[in-house]
Amino acid sequence: MALPEDIPQGAPAALEVRGMTKRFGNLVACADVDLVLRRGEIHGILGENGAGKSTLMRMFIGLALPDSGTIAIDGEPYRIIDPLHAAARGIGMVHQHYSLVDALTVWENVALGETGRLDPEATRARIRAISERYGLDVDPDARVRDLTAGVRQRVEIIKCLRHEPRILILDEPTSVLSPAESEQLFSVLKEGVRREGWAVALVSHKLDEILHASDRITIMRDGRVVHRVLTADANAASLARAMVGRDVSLRSESAAIGVVDEAALAADTATVAANVPPVLEITGATVRGADRRVLLDDLTLSVAPGEIVGVAGVEGNGQEPLSHVMSSLLALESGTVRVAGAEVRTGVAGAMMHAGVAVIPADRHASGCVMDLSVAENLVLSSIDRYTDRGVLRRDAIRKRAEALIAEFDVHTPGPDTPFGQLSGGNQQRAVLARVLSVGPKVLVAVQPTRGLDVGAIEYIGERLQRAAADGIGVLLVSTDLGEIAALAHRIAVIYRGRIIGEMRRAELDMERLGLLIGGSTEGEAA
Amino acid sequence: MTAADTQPPAAAPPQFVAEGPWRTRGEMALLYVASILGALGLSALLVAMTGHSWQRVFGALLDGAFLAPGRWGNTLTVAMPMLLVALGTVVAVRAGLFNIGQEGQLLMGAMLMAVAGTKMEGPGVLLLVVGLVLGAFAGGAFAGISAVMRYRRGVPEVISTLLMVFVALQLTGFAVITAWFLRDNDPNRPQRAQTSAALDADTHLPEIHILGNSFSLGVILAVILALLVAFVLARTVWGFRLRVLGHNPIVAQKIGIAAKHTGSRALFISGAFAGLAGAMMLASGSSSYRFTPGFSTNIGWQGLLVALLARSRPIACIPMALLFAALRTGSGFLASTGVDRKIVDVTQALLVLALLIPPAVSFVRERRRAVAAATGDRV
Repeated sequence: MALPEDIPQGAPAALEVRGMTKRFGNLVACADVDLVLRRGEIHGILGENGAGKSTLMRMFIGLALPDSGTIAIDGEPYRIIDPLHAAARGIGMVHQHYSLVDALTVWENVALGETGRLDPEATRARIRAISERYGLDVDPDARVRDLTAGVRQRVEIIKCLRHEPRILILDEPTSVLSPAESEQLFSVLKEGVRREGWAVALVSHKLDEILHASDRITIMRDGRVVHRVLTADANAASLARAMVGRDVSLRSESAAIGVVDEAALAADTATVAANVPPVLEITGATVRGADRRVLLDDLTLSVAPGEIVGVAGVEGNGQEPLSHVMSSLLALESGTVRVAGAEVRTGVAGAMMHAGVAVIPADRHASGCVMDLSVAENLVLSSIDRYTDRGVLRRDAIRKRAEALIAEFDVHTPGPDTPFGQLSGGNQQRAVLARVLSVGPKVLVAVQPTRGLDVGAIEYIGERLQRAAADGIGVLLVSTDLGEIAALAHRIAVIYRGRIIGEMRRAELDMERLGLLIGGSTEGEAA
Repeated sequence: MTAADTQPPAAAPPQFVAEGPWRTRGEMALLYVASILGALGLSALLVAMTGHSWQRVFGALLDGAFLAPGRWGNTLTVAMPMLLVALGTVVAVRAGLFNIGQEGQLLMGAMLMAVAGTKMEGPGVLLLVVGLVLGAFAGGAFAGISAVMRYRRGVPEVISTLLMVFVALQLTGFAVITAWFLRDNDPNRPQRAQTSAALDADTHLPEIHILGNSFSLGVILAVILALLVAFVLARTVWGFRLRVLGHNPIVAQKIGIAAKHTGSRALFISGAFAGLAGAMMLASGSSSYRFTPGFSTNIGWQGLLVALLARSRPIACIPMALLFAALRTGSGFLASTGVDRKIVDVTQALLVLALLIPPAVSFVRERRRAVAAATGDRV
C-alpha cells in the first residue's frame, strides 16, 4: 500500500522514519510506516480515529517503542527511548489532553519538571519572551484553573517551546478550541515554520483544517500510510476517499471528518411543525458547583417532538452539567425541567428516566454502562423490572431481549454473556444506544455521541439519531463538533459559560456567525 | 459496520481478549497452589528455626482441626460465625460499601441473644428464635447507624463502622457488670462479676451428632444462608440493583437506584449477618453459653478476612471459613509440641498474604493489558 515518497531534491529531513511497526497484542497499530518531516513545513497527518496516528507520534517522542523501524534525526540514525531523550534531540509534543496542574499558576506549571533550583523570575521572563516572540498571549501569574481551553493550550505550547524544539508534534490540537482559537494556533505554527524553520507534524481527523493549515498531507488508515500529497494538489473529495477507504457521500459521514457543505445543508432543512408543544422545556436552569462557580446560568432551551436541537460550544461551557441534570445526577438550584408538559424533579434517582428522558453520556465508560456486568445485563439495565418474576430475574427473557437488541443495533459481540468491558468503543456505544432507545423515550439527550468512534460507527449513530427524531422523539444533541451539529440538527443553540447565547435554524446557518458565538460572540473576535 | 463489511479486512483489530479462559484459570489455580505452599514452607522454616520439628507441628494442627476425636465437629461450629460474618461483608462489598465493624455488630447480636435467653420468659424454642431475630436486628441496627452517618452527613462507612466497634465494646462491657442488665446474679457462682448468666438448656441451638462428632445446627443454617445470598445476588432484581450500585453508582442513580436506600439496606443486612453470627455463637455454646466482654474473640475480624480472601463470592466463603476455623481449632493442639501457639497467627497471616498474591498478579496483568490497549487503539 505504501506509495513512493516524493522528496524534493536537497531538502534536509528533520525527522525521517522508515518501516515503523507497532503491535499491541494482535492489534497492529502501525504497519511499516515511512514518514519524512521537513524543516519549514507543516505536515498534516490525517486519519480516522484508530488509524494509528497517535501511536506513530508517540513513537517519535519515545512514549511508545517501535517493534521495528528506524528513526533518523537530521540524517543521523537515532533510537528514542523516552520523552526526555526526545526533548534533548529537539522533538517536542503538545498532547491532545493537557497535563497542567489547575491549582498552580502558569509559570509554576512551566517550571514543573525542570531540574535544579527554582528561579521564578527567570521562568516568568522566559514565558514572557516566548509569548512575545510567537504571539502566545499568556500571563505567567494567572492560575491555570481560571484559563479557557485555548489559553491552556498556549501554556502547553510554551511548555514545549521552552526546550527550543526544532520538531514540533501536535496531536489533535483543535479538539477543545473554538474556530477563532484554532485559527490563531495555525498562525502561530505558520509563523514558527517561516521564521524558525520548525518541522511541524499536525495530527488531526478533521479534513478541513488539515487542508487549510498544512503544506503536505499524509493519510493513514488501519495503521498504514495510504496516501501522500502536497496540499496544493489536494482536494477534499479524494482525501476523504483515501481516509475512509470508499466514497463519502452521506452527510453524517462528511460530518465525521469535518467537512461542512453549507449549501447542501440549507437546501434540505427538514421542517418541524411550528405549533407542536415542546416535549422538553428547560427554563431558567441555574446550577452552581461546589466552589460556588456557576455551571449553568439561567439556561433556557426547548425541543419539539421530532426535532433535533444541536447544542454547540467549546468544551467546558456547561455541556457536562446540562447532561448531568438530564441524567438525574445534578439538582437545579433554580429553574425547571418539563418533559411533555410535566415538571420533573431534578437530582432524584431515576426521575428523568421514568419521565422518558434517555441520555447517551459523553463518558460512556463512567456513566453509560456497567463494565463489569454482561452485555445482556447492560442492555436491559433501564428496564430490568420488565424481566422479573416475583423478584427473580427471568434470565431467558433477558437473554432473548438482549439477542434481539444485539441484532437490531448490530452490536458486534461474541454473545450476550460477554463482559461489557470487552466490547470495542463503537460497539459499546451501539449497545448504549440500543439500551436507551429500547425503552421508548420521549426525549433523547446525546452528549458527544460520536467522540472517539470510527467513521462506520459515527455514520450509524447519526442515522439512528435522525431515525429517533423521525419517530417523534425530541433529540438534544450536545456536541463540540460543529460539523456534526451542522449535519444533524434542525436548530442550533450555542452554549457559552452555562448560558444559551444564540440560536439559529439550520436554514439560516452561518458558519462564521456560529463560530463567533461559540467563542462568546464579540470576545471570539478579540481573542 | 454494515457498509464496512464489504471491505477486505485490513489487519482486523481483535475486539475481544484473545486468551482462552481455561488457560487463565489453570494458571490462576497453579498460582494459588504455589502461593499456599510458599506460605506453609515459610511457616515450616520458622518452626525449624526455633528448633522444633515442623512435621510434628503440622501433624498437631491437623489433629486439632480434624483428625482427633470430636475435632472436626468443633471446627465446623467455629467456622459457622466466620461464614455468617463473611456473608454480611460480601453483601456490603457488592453494594460498594466496606463494613469493617463486624466485631462490634457481632457483640451486639450476642448481647441481645443473652437478653432473650436470660431475661425473657417463655417457651425455650420461642426464646431462641426471638433471640436470634433480635440479635440479627441489633447487629443490623448497629451498622444502620453508620448508614445514617454516611448518607446524611457523608461520614465514610469504613471509619464509622470501625469506630462503632469501640462503642460496642463499652456497651457490652457495661451490660455484663450491671446488676439490672446482664450480670449473672447467681450468688452461688464465684467470679460472676464479668459474665451473664448461662442460657437455659432449652434455648440452646440443637446439636447434630454424627460419626462421633457433634456440631451446631447453626452450621447447616449458615450454609443455607450462603446459598441464599449467592442466589439473591446473582438471580434476583434486588441483587442486580445492589451489584449495579456497587459497580457504578452513577449509572445506578440514573436508572433509579438511590444509593441512600439501597446502600442503607445493604449495610443493615451486613450488620444483621454479624449480629446473627454473635447470637448463634452464644446459642451454640461459645464461652459456655455465657455472654462475656471478650465474647467475640476476633471472629468478626476473621470473618472479614474470610470475605476478603473469598473475593466477595458467597460460596467461596465456605471453604475459606473452614480453613480459618481449622487453623484456630488446630492451634489448640500445639501445646504438646512445645511450640508457641502464636506460630498459628504467623501462619494465618502468611496464608492471607499468600492468597492475596494470585489476584494481585492477575490485577497487574490486566492493568498492563488495559494500558497496552489504551495506548494502542486510542487516537
